[in-house]
Amino acid sequence: MAQRLVRRSGLTMPVVTKRFVDNAWRRGCDYINLDLEDSVPQHLKAHARSLIKEAIPNVSKGGAEVFTRINHDYVLADLEAIVWPGLRRVNYPKAEYGAEIRQLDEIITRLERERGIRPGTVEIGANIETAVGVAYGYEIASASPRVKDFGGASGYDMSRDLGVEMFVGFDQFVYGKGECELIARTLGIEARSAPFVANTTGSVSDPEHAFRTAEAARKCGFRHGGGLNPAVVEPQNRGFTPSDEDVREAHWVLEQYRQLAGSGETWGEVNGRIIDRYEAARARDTLEWAELCAERNREKAEAVARVQAAMAEQTSRASA
Amino acid sequence: MAMLIRRSNLMVPITNPRFVSRAWRHNADAITLDLEDSVVETRKTEARALVKEAIAQVGQGAAEVFVRINKPFVQADAEASVWPGLRGIMLPGVETADEVTEAAALLTVLERQRGLAVGSLQLIILLESARGVWHIQSIITASPRVTQVGLDESDLACDLGISPLPEYDPYVYARGRLAIEATAAKVQPVGIRYPLGTQARLLPAAELHTMANEARNLGMKGVICPHPSWVEPVNNAFTPTADLVAYNKRVRAVFAEAIASGTAAVPLDGRMIDVPVDEWAKVVIAMAEACAARDAEKQAALTRLR
Repeated sequence: MAQRLVRRSGLTMPVVTKRFVDNAWRRGCDYINLDLEDSVPQHLKAHARSLIKEAIPNVSKGGAEVFTRINHDYVLADLEAIVWPGLRRVNYPKAEYGAEIRQLDEIITRLERERGIRPGTVEIGANIETAVGVAYGYEIASASPRVKDFGGASGYDMSRDLGVEMFVGFDQFVYGKGECELIARTLGIEARSAPFVANTTGSVSDPEHAFRTAEAARKCGFRHGGGLNPAVVEPQNRGFTPSDEDVREAHWVLEQYRQLAGSGETWGEVNGRIIDRYEAARARDTLEWAELCAERNREKAEAVARVQAAMAEQTSRASA
Repeated sequence: MAMLIRRSNLMVPITNPRFVSRAWRHNADAITLDLEDSVVETRKTEARALVKEAIAQVGQGAAEVFVRINKPFVQADAEASVWPGLRGIMLPGVETADEVTEAAALLTVLERQRGLAVGSLQLIILLESARGVWHIQSIITASPRVTQVGLDESDLACDLGISPLPEYDPYVYARGRLAIEATAAKVQPVGIRYPLGTQARLLPAAELHTMANEARNLGMKGVICPHPSWVEPVNNAFTPTADLVAYNKRVRAVFAEAIASGTAAVPLDGRMIDVPVDEWAKVVIAMAEACAARDAEKQAALTRLR
C-alpha cells in the first residue's frame, strides 16, 4: 500500500465566501475542501466555478492539500473549471453507481493530459450519502484507481434519504458505515469512517466533541477527519495524532516483543498485557503514523513561516 | 407521487370474531387479517371463508386492509382474499425473488377475475430467515407491488438458532440492511425497536412511543402492531410533532434568507443549515401534511359511520 496520507483535519467551505477562502491557509488543516455544492446557492454556481483556479494556490499556501467538492448534477462543467495543477482531489457527492465514477475518471484523465498535470494524480473522493450508494458501494469504490479511500453513509444527506432525524442518542448509520468499511478494506484502500460518539446538540463547532470523536476514530483504525468550523481543526489534528503516551506505550510493546522473540516464544503476558505479533504490528503502525503526523506538521509549519516571512517583507517594503 | 402514510398496521386473527368486529375502532392506518400464525392448521379452510366479509368490516374506519397468507398455501389463501376492499397481501417468510414474482402473477390473474384494477394490489414482505435478509434486494425489487418490507424477528431468531436476550440486539446488521436496501428500492422498511419485535408485549403508551420513535430514527416508516394498544403511540411517533414542524419551518425561512444574501450555508442555533437540511425540512413539513390528510380521511369515515 502507498504511504498513508495524513488528512486528520479539513475545512469544507463555500468557495463564494471570500472571507473563509482568504483565511483558509491560517487554519492549520491538513486539507481544504472548496465547495461548489450544497453551500453554494444555485444562482451562484457559475460564479463559484470561476473562483476555483485562483483559490487553489491561495488556500494551499499554509501547506494544506486542496480538494473541491463538485455538484452531482454538473460534473462536466465543474470538472472543466476545477482540474488545475495543485488540485489533489475531486469530491463527488451522492455517488450511487460505478458508471458515475468511470465517467469522472475519463474526464479527469483528459483534463490532466490537456493541462499538464501528472496522469493519475487527481483523486476521486466517492462520497456515499444515500441508501443506493451503500447498496452499490463495491462497484463505486472499485470503479477507478483514483478512489484512494472510501466511506460516508452518515450525515445530513444520508439521514434525509433514510428519513431519520440527526443527532439522536444512538448510531443510525451502523450498517452503512460497516458495509463501506468492509468494502474499503476488501479493496485495500483507506476506510473513512468513525465510531459513534453521541452529539445530541448538532453543534459543528464543539472542540471537545471533535477531539473525542477524532481520538475514538483513530483508536478504531480510521485516520480521516474534516469539518465545517475552524474551531474543530486543532482538536482533530490532536485527536488523530498518537499522544506522547501512545508513542511511549508503542515503544514499550515493541521492546517487550523483542525480548519475547529473543526467548523463542511467540506469545507472552507482561503486566497483564498480551504481547504477540499482532500487538507488535499495532505498535509499529502507531509509531509510523506518529512519524507521518510529525512530518506533516513540519511541512505545514514551514509553509506558514514562508507566507509570514513574505508578508513581513512586503510590509517593510511598503513602509520603506 | 403521494407519500404513503401507513404508520400502524394492526394484526387481527381472523378466527377471533370479537377482535375482527372491533378492529376498525382502534384508528390504525392499516389492518391485516391473519390467516397465518394465529390460525391453527385445522382451521385454515374455515378461516379462509371468513375473509371476504371481514374485509368490509375492518375497513369501515378507512383503514387499508391486508391479509397475511400462509407460505405453503399462497394460491388458496389469495383466492380467498382477493375481493373489493382489499389493499394487498402480506407475504411471510420470503426467501427468493421468484416467490414474489409468482405471487404478483397470481394477483394479476385474480384482479382480472374479480374485477379489480390490474396492478392495484400491493405486497408487504416479511423476511424471516438469513436467506431472506441476504437476498432482500432482489426480493423487494421483484415487483412494483411491493410497498413495505419488515423482519419477522421471532421467526428470524428461530432460523438463526438463537434465543436473544433483550439487552443485546442481534439484528443490528439485519435491520440496518433492511433500512438501506428498502430505502434504496423506494420501498418502506417497517419495524419496532428491539426487543419489542421479538417479544411483543403490552407496554405503557409512553414507552411504546419511545420505542416507535427510535424505530423511526433507524429508518422505519411504520410498525406492524400485534395489539390494539400499540396503534395510538405508533401513530403519534410516526407523525411529525408540531414542534418539529415549527423548527423546520424556521429552517426553511433562515435558509431562504441566506440564499437571497448569497450563501447556502448558514448557522442556526449552533448547527449548519445547508441544502440537505432544507431538503429534509421540506420532507418533514410534507409528511406532517400527509399524516394530517390521512387522519382526516379516517375521521371522515368514522363520522359517516356515526
